[in-house]
Amino acid sequence: MPELLQIEHIRKTFPGVIALDDVSFTVATGEIHTILGENGAGKSTLMNVLTGLYHPDSGKMCLDGTEVHFTSPRDSLACGIGMVHQHFMLVPAHSVFENILLALDKVPLLYNRKQYQQKIQKIIDTFELDLDLDTEVWKLSIGAQQWIELIKLLLRDCRLLILDEPTAVLTPQETDRLFRVLRLLQEQGKSIIFISHKMREVVEISDRVTVLKKGRSISTLDRGSFDREILAGLMIGQDKIPEWQKNLQMSENIVLDIRNLSVRNDRGLADLDQVSLQLKEGEILGIAGIAGNGQKALAEALTGLKPVTRGKIFAGEVDITHSTARSSYISGIAHIPEDRKSIGIAPDLDVADNLIMKSYKNPLFRRGFFQNRGAIRRNAEDKVSRFAIKTGPDGSPVRYLSGGNIQKVIIARELSENPRVLVALYPTRGLDIGSAEYIHKVIVEGAGRGMSTILIAEDLDELLKLSDRIAVMFRGRIIGYADPRRTTREEIGLMMSGERQDQAS
Amino acid sequence: MKKTMVMILVVLLAGFTGHAFAQGKQVKAGFVYVGPVGDAGWTFAHDQGRKEMEKLPFVEPSTYIESVPGGAESARVINGLVRRGHNLIFTTSFGYMDATIDVAARNKDVVFMHASGYRTAENVGTYFGRMYEPRYLSGMIAGKMTEKNIVGYVAAFPIPEVIRGINAFTLGVRSVNPDAQVRVVWTQTWFDPGVERDAADSLLDVGADVLAMHQDAPATLQAAEARGAYVIGYNSDNRRFAPNAFLTAPVWNWGPLYSHIAQAVHDGTWSSEQIWWGMKEDLVQLATLSDRIPADVQTLVNERAEEIRTGNFHPFTGPIKDRDGNEALASGQIMSDPDLLSMNFFVEGVIGTLSN
Amino acid sequence: MKLVIERRDTSSTLMRFAAPVASIFVALAFAGFLLLAAGINPLEAYREILIEAVGSTYGLSETLVKATPLILAGLGVSIAFRMQIWNIGAEGQIYIGAMGATWVALFSGLENHWMLMITMFSAAFICGGLWAGVAGFLRARWSVNEVIVTLLMNYIAILLVDYLVYGPWRDPQGFNFPLTAQFADAARFASFFDTRLHSGFFLALVFALLLYLFMERTVWGYQIKVIGSNPQAARYAGMRTGQAVFWVLFLSGAIAGVAGFSEVAGLQYRLQHGLSPGYGYTAIIIAWLARRSAIGVVIVSLLMGILLVGGDSLQMLWQLPIAFVYAFQGLILFFLLGSDFFIQYRLKLIRGIRHG
Repeated sequence: MPELLQIEHIRKTFPGVIALDDVSFTVATGEIHTILGENGAGKSTLMNVLTGLYHPDSGKMCLDGTEVHFTSPRDSLACGIGMVHQHFMLVPAHSVFENILLALDKVPLLYNRKQYQQKIQKIIDTFELDLDLDTEVWKLSIGAQQWIELIKLLLRDCRLLILDEPTAVLTPQETDRLFRVLRLLQEQGKSIIFISHKMREVVEISDRVTVLKKGRSISTLDRGSFDREILAGLMIGQDKIPEWQKNLQMSENIVLDIRNLSVRNDRGLADLDQVSLQLKEGEILGIAGIAGNGQKALAEALTGLKPVTRGKIFAGEVDITHSTARSSYISGIAHIPEDRKSIGIAPDLDVADNLIMKSYKNPLFRRGFFQNRGAIRRNAEDKVSRFAIKTGPDGSPVRYLSGGNIQKVIIARELSENPRVLVALYPTRGLDIGSAEYIHKVIVEGAGRGMSTILIAEDLDELLKLSDRIAVMFRGRIIGYADPRRTTREEIGLMMSGERQDQAS
Repeated sequence: MKKTMVMILVVLLAGFTGHAFAQGKQVKAGFVYVGPVGDAGWTFAHDQGRKEMEKLPFVEPSTYIESVPGGAESARVINGLVRRGHNLIFTTSFGYMDATIDVAARNKDVVFMHASGYRTAENVGTYFGRMYEPRYLSGMIAGKMTEKNIVGYVAAFPIPEVIRGINAFTLGVRSVNPDAQVRVVWTQTWFDPGVERDAADSLLDVGADVLAMHQDAPATLQAAEARGAYVIGYNSDNRRFAPNAFLTAPVWNWGPLYSHIAQAVHDGTWSSEQIWWGMKEDLVQLATLSDRIPADVQTLVNERAEEIRTGNFHPFTGPIKDRDGNEALASGQIMSDPDLLSMNFFVEGVIGTLSN
Repeated sequence: MKLVIERRDTSSTLMRFAAPVASIFVALAFAGFLLLAAGINPLEAYREILIEAVGSTYGLSETLVKATPLILAGLGVSIAFRMQIWNIGAEGQIYIGAMGATWVALFSGLENHWMLMITMFSAAFICGGLWAGVAGFLRARWSVNEVIVTLLMNYIAILLVDYLVYGPWRDPQGFNFPLTAQFADAARFASFFDTRLHSGFFLALVFALLLYLFMERTVWGYQIKVIGSNPQAARYAGMRTGQAVFWVLFLSGAIAGVAGFSEVAGLQYRLQHGLSPGYGYTAIIIAWLARRSAIGVVIVSLLMGILLVGGDSLQMLWQLPIAFVYAFQGLILFFLLGSDFFIQYRLKLIRGIRHG
């Protein structure tokens, strides 16, 4: 296969940080090439270089054998390099057609609507996408929204498509569908750079895999010469995956009893519809479901972030139905929020200050009006070493930390007062393997000490690995339970899409 | 012993004469201005006077500092002039009063002259002009020239100086046209072309066909020119801003006063006093009358001006009624200087309020 | 070739200090050309500015006097900035604080110095605080934008003080001039070294220290930082953001109010129009340049003091117009603010070859 893109010795530094040290790889025409690396390995920087957002300090980038320098994403698009970002750039209130039109260059003021519609429809038909051009975007599933992004790039005749963790938001079925589309694209001679953490997918789809570690491309492997273990080993290198043992014995004590819980959203629709759930001491209860089926509402109701419309929540014997975030924390419910940066941390403050965000009023950390800086510092030192948090120089804001380390800060804070219940919402989303494994270990070890966990996750492998039970949510209800030791991914996938009601619980 | 006694005597004498501002000394004057010298108004007029004073042989090149805000800020500037060797300092705005007294108390060998205030000290005198005299005359012209009997007056702050001007002007207007009224708009600024223009326009909007002003920017003149009304300027002969609308202007002529004070300091005859000169001493004048003023009116005004100069007429001669019709000054009486200086009422014929 | 702007991922400590210093030099170089054009040796001019501002006890004292209200108002503005609250109303809060202190000084009947000081301080603190607290309440209760409220309340505050000094609080002995009576000695700050340097400066330093401790060491300061950094996270952690908005604006206004107290008790000894020539607005620039740190506010205020005081010498020695002094001060501020940009971004020249 002829090489479409050649990357040679790309280096990019920021003051005090070497983001990319030495990266080289090639992408052939019609190839699906995976870039694999832990968070902070330089994947995002590399993609920003490829799409012209950053300019490398040194190194060469050749397209069809000619050296290119991009000064903006506009340049790279003009050369046929397009990217589907993790966060879609769509206007929710507008129709699919309008959103696509918005992305196109040089649409005349008075355009021929029919001509454009035909053009788009042709692409939809080719890839057998299930997409109605006149639907407003907000009504579409995440998977369908992703197709819109893809269509945008195809309309602009992109030859190289970069997909940044495209499967993070998809159900297994949607992922399969995406992969079918990718293979079709491949047949048409398009090249694809695929970014993912999920080993199973990487092994399934990639022609070649380039592993990135600490800003260097350490090796590129051809199909057939890699499997999950080899890739994981390369990616993590010397860093050991922490070992943990699942606790199989469980008490029969019920620590959390949810009875007929209903939550309405701002539009008056039911986010949670009569959900009942019992959580036993030391249990890890996994909750599967496609995003937007009530998992978030459940977590927010439990942690006092959202008011309950009907129903009751009991923690042991105590009714905590109408508690606030703070009081539910005090009564022993810890929370790992979905959106780390928007509610989990104060980005301008340092690690020590973030670690006491929920316990700053605790007498341990204050002397009257004053904070006990010594105690706060010792607390930070303790947590940093116990949770293996990699911090910057002393006092540097947490916003400079990698996603994994930010998550560790949140977990260290939430678990610091030995909560009885942990509500974890997508705790490993966007994290690299090392960090994700670490968080698994913390949750499982907590279970060993009697902490119960409600684990809401999108990665079925993760749920299957950790959970004692899996509840599947669909449209605000729990439509069934699955036993992780006996079920399969496919069965859970069917329940998630509402096609199958129950399985022995 | 004898020798020592003589020595002490000499030192004492030297001290005394030193204190009484030694004779025949060179005068190095500093001026503190509230606006820029190019304001074509108040500060410009002072600067003209400064230049005239500099023509005296014993006056060294003088220094001015422009756009100095009143209050605490000015004390530093005044002190700066003292520290740079100035021995006569003119502070030309009311806002410098406390600062002048304050700096003077620490620098007894420097002479300070503060314009428009009332606080004095051993080495601080005050000076001002009886601007109400030409104001009265300009009011007569306005009274004769208005057809709608509405005269507008753009005024800065409701302080005695400005109120006195408005009252004198109104008395002048009503002396020739008892039906006319004077409408006052306050701007709360000495120098702000935009605000002054708005105020002038608002007066024209309510039907004024002659405008007068107590402001330092020429915006009122320009407004009148643009709308075809007549206007009476202030501070200096600023007819170039309104060639067609300009009638006359009560103007300052600081030169003689500044020269007089410099001479007194040079001669060693200076002592703290409150100077309040008028048309007699030529400190205040009426700018050359416009051709548009009919000859009979010009004659009338010129005759009244002569009466003022010779002391045969005082604008504030009773009976004077205040705005509410109460008697403010009994018939035949002449208002005393302290009453003039602290004037705080409007005479009959003024439309406006004293509270801003 | 193309010039692009890149955001720096981190800003180094060295850069944070080097950039402002470098920017001052660039500004001086620019202004140097202006000076050369005016026929003045720039090096000599800069030397004079430094001598004027810090070269003598007197100059230094004046710089500190000038910096005093800037430090206090700057601290007030900066504490609100810490919570992402924009208090544009320090100017008005200075006036209202001064009003509170003046009321105590003139009408409380207290005679003991320390009693007066404490009461005047408290009055200024509470008045300034409540004034800003109005904006805080509106913001917390109905999400009314505090920028608009604080800004517009400046005009109300200044007019309110005008009303008092032109009306009910006017000095009965003041010939109807718009001034309150002067404070008794017991209601004045002590001054030092036979200069105008007064206790207010030390009060400002104490406030800087207290505020530093407040922000870095107390539970409240911690809450303010968390809310400022991420209000959602703060609510999640159980903090009452609405209450905090009110109290932070209260504190912000209270400290600006203390600046007003310091001006009337330390310098002016009375309330009058034009009490603050824009200190409240300069404070916004100071808080911005100081990057929200209390120590930074002190440093930047002193620098600003040097700039303002030193500017006098340009006028006094070379009779440069005030416009030049403004331009010079503006240049330095412009480059300082510009350096802020370079701390966060960098310019890069890159070759761009459009492919295909």
